[in-house]
Amino acid sequence: MSYSSGLFALLLMVLEWTRLGLPSPLRPICDLRVIDQFIMEARDAEAAMRACKEGCRLPGPFTVPLTRVNFDVWEKKDVQEQAREVQTGLWLLKEAISSLQVVGNSAAQSHIDSSLRNIASIGQVLHSLSIQEYIPPAGVLGEQETWRVSSASELFQVHVNFLRGKVRLLLANAPVCQQDAS
Amino acid sequence: MTNGRTNAFLIVALFFWFPEVSLTNGVLTFQTKVMHLLRVEPENPKCFAEGMRDLTCFWEEREEERGSTADEYTFTYTYQNENSSNCDVAALALPLAGSRRLFFCQLARIQFFVPLDVHVLYKGQPLYSRNLFIENMFLLDPPANVTVTRTGKQGQLRVTWLPPPLKYMQKSMMYEVRYAPENSRMGKEITVEAKTELILQGLFSGTKYKLWVRVKPDGITYNGTWSVWSDPILMATPPSDMDPLIILLIVIISVILFLLSLTLLLSYGRFLLKKLWPDIPTPEQKFSGLFTVHGGDFQQWLGHSNSGRLWHPVCVYSEESPAPLEVLSEASLRPPPTLRPNSPKAPCGAAQAKEEGKDTREKEGVDSGSIDRWLEPPHARWLAEQLRAFQEHPAPLSQSSLLESQDAYVILNQNSQHANGEATEDEILEESLPLQALFSCGETSTESRSDLGSLRQSSGSGRLSSQSSFEYPNHTWPPLGPGYTYMAVADSGVSMDYSPMSASRLTDTGKGPIYTNNYKNEILAHRQLLTGQNFHSGC
Repeated sequence: MSYSSGLFALLLMVLEWTRLGLPSPLRPICDLRVIDQFIMEARDAEAAMRACKEGCRLPGPFTVPLTRVNFDVWEKKDVQEQAREVQTGLWLLKEAISSLQVVGNSAAQSHIDSSLRNIASIGQVLHSLSIQEYIPPAGVLGEQETWRVSSASELFQVHVNFLRGKVRLLLANAPVCQQDAS
Repeated sequence: MTNGRTNAFLIVALFFWFPEVSLTNGVLTFQTKVMHLLRVEPENPKCFAEGMRDLTCFWEEREEERGSTADEYTFTYTYQNENSSNCDVAALALPLAGSRRLFFCQLARIQFFVPLDVHVLYKGQPLYSRNLFIENMFLLDPPANVTVTRTGKQGQLRVTWLPPPLKYMQKSMMYEVRYAPENSRMGKEITVEAKTELILQGLFSGTKYKLWVRVKPDGITYNGTWSVWSDPILMATPPSDMDPLIILLIVIISVILFLLSLTLLLSYGRFLLKKLWPDIPTPEQKFSGLFTVHGGDFQQWLGHSNSGRLWHPVCVYSEESPAPLEVLSEASLRPPPTLRPNSPKAPCGAAQAKEEGKDTREKEGVDSGSIDRWLEPPHARWLAEQLRAFQEHPAPLSQSSLLESQDAYVILNQNSQHANGEATEDEILEESLPLQALFSCGETSTESRSDLGSLRQSSGSGRLSSQSSFEYPNHTWPPLGPGYTYMAVADSGVSMDYSPMSASRLTDTGKGPIYTNNYKNEILAHRQLLTGQNFHSGC
């Protein structure tokens, strides 16, 4: 009986030890082919949405991030600011895309689903790069980095440009990946 | 705003006022790019970005606007969600473009990943407009530091280059390597993704190759036009080198083959030699001293030789002495006529080959009756008689030196039976007709006999018609010269074997060819007489 209890205690200790190991950071995903794949899928979604006139309706205008990048300006920002900008934009896009109402167009619906999945995956990639998760608190969003769209095709165009621009730049220049390279 | 003007002024100055000044690389590249884009870009205005912080748009002067100045153009550009901006237009004169001028503008504010509207107005009127993304308009410099090295392997070269020095685009590049033998116009192109080195394989050995490289964004995030080709690089592939293993294998195989052929040659050499270079039979053995002493002069040899006497009248037979034949004929044969020593030919009892021909047969008809006697006695008895006769009469039987030499050729005369000269020879010729031996008589008399003359040609006839030499009342013995070719006939009942005996080579000359043919046994097929044929050869 003492043996069994001893073994049980040992087992618990082992499990506790492995559980402690879980929160350790994931291996950083520095390969840009991941984000390139998301970009290509987003382009397909934009093309599909341009074709979908009737069935893809956006209930009211939605706030979306600005996608423009001036490299001089961008490089002046530090990584945290860039990360915040990226995560705010992703959050806004997620909100807007998930509120899309698609009627009778299963292809468009699949594109919407994959876009939402990709946005979530990007969040995990950022997490692997030791970038803290950030959700913009309500009311903090200023007009500087956002604007409003009213159609689904516009929304997905913004989605593509945002991924190609700010998101990719952030991932390409993440400090974790730079350290590995050098 | 003045930046563009300054640039334009500098460029124009360099082109016109200081033509001797060597152009800087940048200007040259700019000019090259403009020329390149003029060819490949269909839209107007043509815009390109060289780096991350510039965009140049230009257009060509049209015929309607000939003679216009830069001031008459207005260039405005507007980013999404922003106000429009103006850009200063400048003129550019390229020496190669003929008399047409170019106007260009370099944008001051650059924003990526956002749509850009560009408008060109001429005298206030819209001329061109275009919507574009700047990140899709890249026209990069060709890769620098292109180096080619040998890898040490056959037909391989390694090409390396530097990527464009753009910070965020290092991993988004696509390259193309073109290579061709130095003097050939046929080139191959290989696309390389993201990597800045390439190993070319499958090249010709010992050839000089020319290589070019160009670059373009890969199209996922950034896009653009292919850059111009880099300056060509020359490099020769290493000369072909035989793999030592192959050399060793070749040596081993050749040694094996050599030994094999040597073995074969030694073991079958004689056999092969005989096959390839057969001995031509010479009658030297039988004629001692003919060639060595008398130099081939037969007359002389006859005079000197002991055996010359025996040959008179000269009747040469081949050195080969066939074995005596057994006459196994079952057909009834007339007893041979008595030998007449007087007749020089009669004792010979040679039967002559005779060609078919009705006339000859007719002639035969006369003889046939007397010849019939031949057929009655059995062969053996007849043969024995013949032999006895020959032995008793050696002189007239000079031709029968054959017998002296223990050769016996007997021909059975079947044709003789038909008195009418009909072609009923067939009756005589049964399958049972066995041997036919041909006795050849010595002398060649006139050859005027048509039948004899035709004898020569009857070789192919296959029909046997024999003529008894014994009963030839009206004419002399057919000119069977000493140079006859004798044919031993052996009939097995199924087939007839003819073994022609060639006469001496001496007598070949001038008398016509000697025919030796294989006769089929036509007794069975055609029930015809088979006769050996006389071949004339000079004696």
